[in-house]
Amino acid sequence: MNLAATTPILIVAAAATLALGVGLVPGRAAERYGPTAVAIIGLVAAAVMSLVFWGDRIEAFEGSLHIDRFSMLLNLIFITAALAVIILSIREPGAVARRGEYASLILFSTAGMMLVGAAGDLIVLFVGIEILSVSLYVLAALEVWRERSLEAGLKYLIMGAIGSSILLYGFALLYGATGTTRLGEIADALNGSALGGEPLVLGAVVLMVAGLGFKASAAPFHMWTPDVYEGAPTPITAFMSTATKAAALAAFLRIFTAGLADIEADWDLIIGVVAAAAIIVGNVAALLQDNMKRLLAYSSVGQAGYLLIGVAAGSIQGAEATLYYLLVYLAMTLAAFAIVIIREREVIDGDTVQALAGYARRRPVHGAVLTLAMLSLAGFPPLSGFLGKFLLFGSAVEADMIWLAVIGALGSIVSLGYYLRVLGVAWLGDRRPSPAERGLESPPLAGLVTVTSGLAIVALTIAASPVLDACRSAAESLLAA
Amino acid sequence: MSGVPLIWYLLLSFGLFGLGLLGVMRRRNPLLMLLAVELMLNSANIALVGFARHWDNTDGQIFALVVMAVAAAEVVIGLGLVVAVFRQRLALNVDEMSSLKG
Repeated sequence: MNLAATTPILIVAAAATLALGVGLVPGRAAERYGPTAVAIIGLVAAAVMSLVFWGDRIEAFEGSLHIDRFSMLLNLIFITAALAVIILSIREPGAVARRGEYASLILFSTAGMMLVGAAGDLIVLFVGIEILSVSLYVLAALEVWRERSLEAGLKYLIMGAIGSSILLYGFALLYGATGTTRLGEIADALNGSALGGEPLVLGAVVLMVAGLGFKASAAPFHMWTPDVYEGAPTPITAFMSTATKAAALAAFLRIFTAGLADIEADWDLIIGVVAAAAIIVGNVAALLQDNMKRLLAYSSVGQAGYLLIGVAAGSIQGAEATLYYLLVYLAMTLAAFAIVIIREREVIDGDTVQALAGYARRRPVHGAVLTLAMLSLAGFPPLSGFLGKFLLFGSAVEADMIWLAVIGALGSIVSLGYYLRVLGVAWLGDRRPSPAERGLESPPLAGLVTVTSGLAIVALTIAASPVLDACRSAAESLLAA
Repeated sequence: MSGVPLIWYLLLSFGLFGLGLLGVMRRRNPLLMLLAVELMLNSANIALVGFARHWDNTDGQIFALVVMAVAAAEVVIGLGLVVAVFRQRLALNVDEMSSLKG
């Protein structure tokens, strides 16, 4: 069974249950800081355990879970995102009203993501995706007194459930074609068989790409993204756009790059087309947005497209590039959202682009971080965002998909239009009349998250080679049978 | 193996999945959309159980049982949200009425 190897997941799940209980303990201090403290301690412990298990693959529960470098690297991504979001949520209205549930649901969602990252079986993968989604449906709707939040939750639930059922049908067809739900055995069944190109397998591939496309918010399955990102509480939006996307990409890599490697000819073009569509739709639509959360939502659709390039390449090199870009994307997105969250507490309509007018001049440190995040998202050399995109495009060229690299490069040029507009407003803009103050305290440690994310963008640029080595060995562990 | 051939299970499952997808796209009422999603999930269950019979192993049946539990959880959240939206709208209307009374 090998229970010990699953400790990172178990710790997070246990902390989630504990946080729920601590939220019920009477007394001001316990109620106020208890769940947050439990969540932070649990996440740090899980991160330490993930580092401990950084090594050769351990199979737990007879191969249902793969404790390898790939899953441990993803654990660190999920945990970092959850930690940042918990810190950014201190004094968030939705979190204050339901502290226990809030922390607990974030942790449950994280545990679900960790299951996805470690999944060696379609059933585990499906359950993991559902645990993370169902927790997020509730989190998106947690500010029940705000109609937009409720609508976001309901919309996310319905679109998410459609995505899940399409994905499930794909899994059912894949099981029908191969006779097993174990990813390793599926790979064996496909190896050297004549199953490639069979209608059953092709149907499974199309449905799985569509279902996971919903979860990764890649075009043309992205229509829910802007509304849900705008309506949900902003820290939850940050969590959805970083951790959920990483989980969906992990599922893509586990299923396609590892499980279906032998029938790559059946799926590389489909994923390539989805990636190209996401890059085009996301970057063009983002040009028209005036709301920061909507802008970042469309930007995340485009970024999902870049990330999928590494999956479409279907190689170790592609998986390595995707993993590295996931790390960079985490830092860039957290930096951008941290600033939106801070601004949102200060003024009414703080989530609009105009609310940032002149903000960078008044708060130069935050302005510098915002500049780093936006330039890196746009892929400005020499920042880590550029390096990540360069590796992704390189993997596409290597896989004879030059057209995909060209679309990606053109998309990056278009994206400069809106990323630079945000910077222009923040540094040069003037807002008259000055916005109505909202006067809420910003989260106490939000500055820390902002600066850390900014430093992480720089660190991923300067110390790129050890990080890339880690990504490389994680990608190799994915393909090691 | 005797009995109903696999293809009939699959045809039934395809049909239900198509109906569910159509329902989700055509309906605008959240309750009916949830219902249609349930239809899609259960069509996958029929396919899973049919394939489990075909391959003569239990993976598909276990999968179907897990899916039932997951579907139940999803519906609970969905109905909860629908009720919350309904209440919110109701409250808004009541507010409007009282403000009109001045």
